[in-house]
Amino acid sequence: MADSTEKNSKKQKRTKAKTVESTFLSKTSKPEKKGRMKMKGKRKGRDNDQRKRRGGGPRLPNVLRQELGLDVKRNSSSESDSEGGEDVRDFYELDEEVAQEESGKNRRFDEVENYQYELPDDFEDEEVPSDEGEDDSDKSEVEDEREKEDGERHLRMLQDITGIPKEAFDGEKKKREEVLLSQADVRSEIVTIHDLLVPLQGMPGYSSLRKRVLQQEKQPMTLQAPLPKSERDKVQRKVSDKFARKEITKWEGVVKRNREAPTLFFEQDQNLGYSTVGAIASGFEPRTEFEKQMAQLRQDPELVEAYKNDGAKMLELNKVSVKDVIDRQNRLAKMRSLLFRHEMKAKRIKKIKSKTYHKIKKKERQKAASAELEMNPEAAKQQAIKQEQKRAEERLTLKHKNSSKWAKRILKRGLDVQDDATRAAIAEQLQKHEELKRKMNSMNNNESSTDEESSDDDDEEEDESKRALKALNKAKEKTAKVLEEGDEAPKKGLFALPFMERGLKKRQEEAYEEARQALEDYDATLNQLQDEGEEGEEETQQNSSAVKVTGKRTFGPAKKPVAQEYNKRKRLDDFGKDSDSEEEDGEFDEPVPQIIEDKNDKTEGVQLGTALLDEEQVMAQHAIFRNLDDMEKAVGPKTSYEVAIFAGDSFRKVRSDSGHSNKATTSSVIHTSKPSHETKETDQSYETDSDTEMVEGFLTTNLTTDQKPDYELPSQAELVRRVFAGDDVAAEFERDKLETLNEENPEPEKPALVPGWGQWTHVQKKKGLPDWMVREHEEKKRKRGEALKKRKDAKFDHVIISETINRKAEKLMATSLPFPFTSKEAYEGNMRMPIGPDFNPASALSALNRPEIIKKPGLIIQPIEYEEVDPDETNDQPKRIIQGAKPKQSSKEKSKKGKSSNKLVPKTLGQKVKST
Amino acid sequence: MKVKVISRSTEDFTRDRSKDLQKVFRNYDPNLHTQEKAVEYTRALNAAKLEKIFAKPFIGAMDGHIDAVSCMAKNPNHLKAIFSGSMDGDIRLWDLATRKTVCQFPGHQGAVKGLTSSTNGELLVSCGTDCTVRLWKVPSLNFDSTVDTSKPSAIYTWKHAFRGVDHQWNSSIFATAGAQVDIWDHNRSEPINTFQWGNDSVISIRFNPGEPNLLATSSSDRGVVLYDLRTSSPFKKIIMQTKTNSICWNPMEPINFTAANEDCNCYTFDARKLDEAKVVHKDHVSAVMDVDYSPTGREFVTGSYDRTVRIFNYNGDHSREIYHTKRMQRVFCVRYSCDASYVISGSDDTNLRLWKSKAAEQLGVLLPRERKKHEYHDALKARFKHLPEIRRIVKHRHLPKPVYKAAILRRTVTEAENRKEQRRQAHSAPGSSSRKPFRKRKIIKEES
Repeated sequence: MADSTEKNSKKQKRTKAKTVESTFLSKTSKPEKKGRMKMKGKRKGRDNDQRKRRGGGPRLPNVLRQELGLDVKRNSSSESDSEGGEDVRDFYELDEEVAQEESGKNRRFDEVENYQYELPDDFEDEEVPSDEGEDDSDKSEVEDEREKEDGERHLRMLQDITGIPKEAFDGEKKKREEVLLSQADVRSEIVTIHDLLVPLQGMPGYSSLRKRVLQQEKQPMTLQAPLPKSERDKVQRKVSDKFARKEITKWEGVVKRNREAPTLFFEQDQNLGYSTVGAIASGFEPRTEFEKQMAQLRQDPELVEAYKNDGAKMLELNKVSVKDVIDRQNRLAKMRSLLFRHEMKAKRIKKIKSKTYHKIKKKERQKAASAELEMNPEAAKQQAIKQEQKRAEERLTLKHKNSSKWAKRILKRGLDVQDDATRAAIAEQLQKHEELKRKMNSMNNNESSTDEESSDDDDEEEDESKRALKALNKAKEKTAKVLEEGDEAPKKGLFALPFMERGLKKRQEEAYEEARQALEDYDATLNQLQDEGEEGEEETQQNSSAVKVTGKRTFGPAKKPVAQEYNKRKRLDDFGKDSDSEEEDGEFDEPVPQIIEDKNDKTEGVQLGTALLDEEQVMAQHAIFRNLDDMEKAVGPKTSYEVAIFAGDSFRKVRSDSGHSNKATTSSVIHTSKPSHETKETDQSYETDSDTEMVEGFLTTNLTTDQKPDYELPSQAELVRRVFAGDDVAAEFERDKLETLNEENPEPEKPALVPGWGQWTHVQKKKGLPDWMVREHEEKKRKRGEALKKRKDAKFDHVIISETINRKAEKLMATSLPFPFTSKEAYEGNMRMPIGPDFNPASALSALNRPEIIKKPGLIIQPIEYEEVDPDETNDQPKRIIQGAKPKQSSKEKSKKGKSSNKLVPKTLGQKVKST
Repeated sequence: MKVKVISRSTEDFTRDRSKDLQKVFRNYDPNLHTQEKAVEYTRALNAAKLEKIFAKPFIGAMDGHIDAVSCMAKNPNHLKAIFSGSMDGDIRLWDLATRKTVCQFPGHQGAVKGLTSSTNGELLVSCGTDCTVRLWKVPSLNFDSTVDTSKPSAIYTWKHAFRGVDHQWNSSIFATAGAQVDIWDHNRSEPINTFQWGNDSVISIRFNPGEPNLLATSSSDRGVVLYDLRTSSPFKKIIMQTKTNSICWNPMEPINFTAANEDCNCYTFDARKLDEAKVVHKDHVSAVMDVDYSPTGREFVTGSYDRTVRIFNYNGDHSREIYHTKRMQRVFCVRYSCDASYVISGSDDTNLRLWKSKAAEQLGVLLPRERKKHEYHDALKARFKHLPEIRRIVKHRHLPKPVYKAAILRRTVTEAENRKEQRRQAHSAPGSSSRKPFRKRKIIKEES
């Protein structure tokens, strides 16, 4: 209550002050106002007055007032009335405002509070409490009276001045007062929320709204004192901090990504624009006069038409049919391939080194040539000319008459010294010379000689048998010679020793025997050959036309007995001696060459393998093979024969006892099978043994258990002892340890005097080692002992911990795991992979050697710009920060435009800041 | 069976021109290269030695000022232009390529304390102890038409002397530091905003280039304060043990900034968590006067009162490089060039010095083979850098005697402190005394 009274008094004072001020400000208005107040008192009396006062204060509820009805109507009427004095009211309001403004701050806050909480209502409500109305009214009455007096004085004054009766003024005053009254009504009755609620009456939600308003009115509203500046700033900073933190945190993703990126690229945006010539050409526009002319010409329809036509003509090749082209191509390809094949063939033939082959070839060629000679007279003539040339050459140069350097040298040395081949070569040359010379003599002879030659050839071809004969004869002679010479034995040296002599004799006898046998063999074969040869000759005489064929035919089967005989002899030989049987047996599958070779061996290398003979031999081989096959089919089981053929030596044995060998093998099989069976049984017994131990009772019925020997499993210790019975591991280890100890902490060397040092005198020598040496040695020993004690493995008998430090390797070792690596394995794996160009292909190199930052010298690097980053994204590709070229303003702007709208936010904010 | 035939086509072995390189064919089968690790180690060793041989970082000095160089600013739009201001009020524009003054900006009555250039490089802002902020139009930068002197396009006089200025990225706003922080616009003669937190004067100021509305200042009450222009209020402050001389934001990581402190260290902070430094960069032996980040954000350069310039990795606690010359005195300002390949230092001896950021870097145009070779060598060095021999060679630097001795002294002092602390902890009840990690120790309190 006291509070409210205080407030009331305050308010009253304020109103007083207002009035005072108003009087002070406007002298003209002052009497009027007084008059107004007087009139009020006069006309409406106390009731009205009270109601007016109640206007803002606690008053009747609106419902009651509405019931009164009059009130509202009057209000509205007064409002309508007041329109006439609009400007006057304005004038007062201005006054009022000045009066109200006691302090700028208060006003500000009042305004705000006013707006929200209808505080002026409250104030006005409390302005005129009903209880103290009398006091107030008393005061006002006194004032009124004073004012009244004043007014009357004023009137009098006016009357005096103007001379117009008082009533006139009075009327005017009245009128004025009326206007003022209505104005005052409006002014004092500030529109409250209740007034605003009135028109809403009857609408839905009206009652609840009213209730709320009433509730609000009941609560006492207090105005809080403003916070001190420091506190306000603190709050502001807190809010600002929150905001800034949020703004900064958005960068986290970008920063993290950039930090984790293996490489940052700061590159210029290189937009070259056109990429192809076509693109450039399409954008071309003629600018200069010349260009324009050219373009006009180019686009001239006539020209274009002409070009089209002409172009078609130019392409005449188009009219060639596809088929023709293909045919031509095929033909060419065929020719090329043929050429190629021919070339290849020639190359291959050229590469062949076999003399026989070339001989045959030569023969063929000669034959072909001779045939041509016969057929073609032209060719014969050519040949004749050639021959003539050759002869002439011979005559001129005497090429083949030992005139060459080589021949002269040989003759100078003497023909006797030379080997056979050389001698033969010389003889041949001479013979050639003779031939050439002879042919010089008569042209007719020439023909005959050629005939002879051909016949010789024929002979060679036909009468290999004769050749063989010759060879055999030669061989025979040689063996005979050997037989004759045989007796000469060395009488000196090693061979003169008695046992050597004996051995030699024995050998010689054997050889003799052998040679004799060989001779016999030769004789036999010679006889046969001669017989055959005669037969052959007869046959050739009989049918000369088919000489070759028949000869060959007859020769084949005729060989057979020879081979058989040879085999027989072989067997004999083998029985006789086993010296080189293996070699022979190895080549048993080709017996015919064997004969000759054998002979060759025995006759000590007389070469008579001509190509023709070889051929014949091949033929003969076939024949013998056939025979062998027959034999295989005819006799015995196949296997034995196969063995006989290919296994040589054993073959005879096998065959010889083939009868019982089978039995033997079977018996052996039985024999071997028996022990295997036994072993099996024993195995089983062992198994069952173990089994029975494991599951007793189940396997006791097993028969083999009876045979189980007495066997006990040895204990573990026993087993170990047995296993390592031989080696003393512990001692070995001890030795090893001692060795390593000595190696790592070597025992100090025993002090020794360098000879000559300290031995000058007898006295010194007697003294022995100097003291310092002994002391040093002892010190060293002591140190070693300490070092040994300090070793990590000093207390462990069974451990060696090496303490050697490899100084060279030390500098290659990292002291600790370097930063980005989390495990030793990862680090070592990384270090193992080389990064250099010598060990990596160029494609991988740039990625391996890429620096952390790639920038271009001279390129201005702009600060980062914000972009959204997906935190889950995996950046396989290194991040590239590409920025527009700085000097080019236009390109920069372009890039700015293209950038995300995120950039725009701070920009606009920045502008805001600028404007504030 | 398929028989592999050796076939060589002549095309692979013939060169088009006689100057072409012969193509070399290699078999990369690892079984054929058993010594590869040893070979690469030796190469790395040689590369490290070569790097030492070719380490010649000093390019040249630019003299012209007649008093100590107090501040510098780079032109963000022009690579070879740099502004410098000196204690006698002289401002110069230098051409780094020719190392000559291009233009002078006379006018300041006292020392020029702050210089900055707008992002487009057309406007230079300077401020100084004569309580004026001067805006200059930068002459066009094709240096053919040299303008000897320039007149300020605007002079704004304010209530207090200025200690620093910085320009916001891509806008017309700049901020000055003095008795308080003032935000200015190019076109207004009075600051558009003013911040003050505490009564001490602000020493340095730097805008965040990545997040242009953030602003960091350091003040003489040993504080570091962060501001946000959007809410137009400061939002964070820490008090450190010693005052911070300069601040620089990481241009590639707008979260982080580095403060150059009076206690010989640099501290890199996360702007959201100022209660501990992310990294403490130690190596200087006297107060660090200035710090500037490389545009790549991977390293920064510091200038110190101990007459050296050092380059640190953004996350390295020790410097990777130290530059010094006999004649270089106290370094007051350093800047990294805009292409991250040069460093400029301004010192008490009135000179600006131009250094290579990588001491052994080969300047000029590199052929692809040369570039590859350098890359390979760098990769090798990086790979084997932890091995003792190579580490020794790579880390070895020749120091001026006073710096060397001071470093030793500092080391002994810190070691003694550590020892003492250890003993104290050992002899106190467990848990009764806990020592803060070094990253937190120098931060006294965090205000909000």
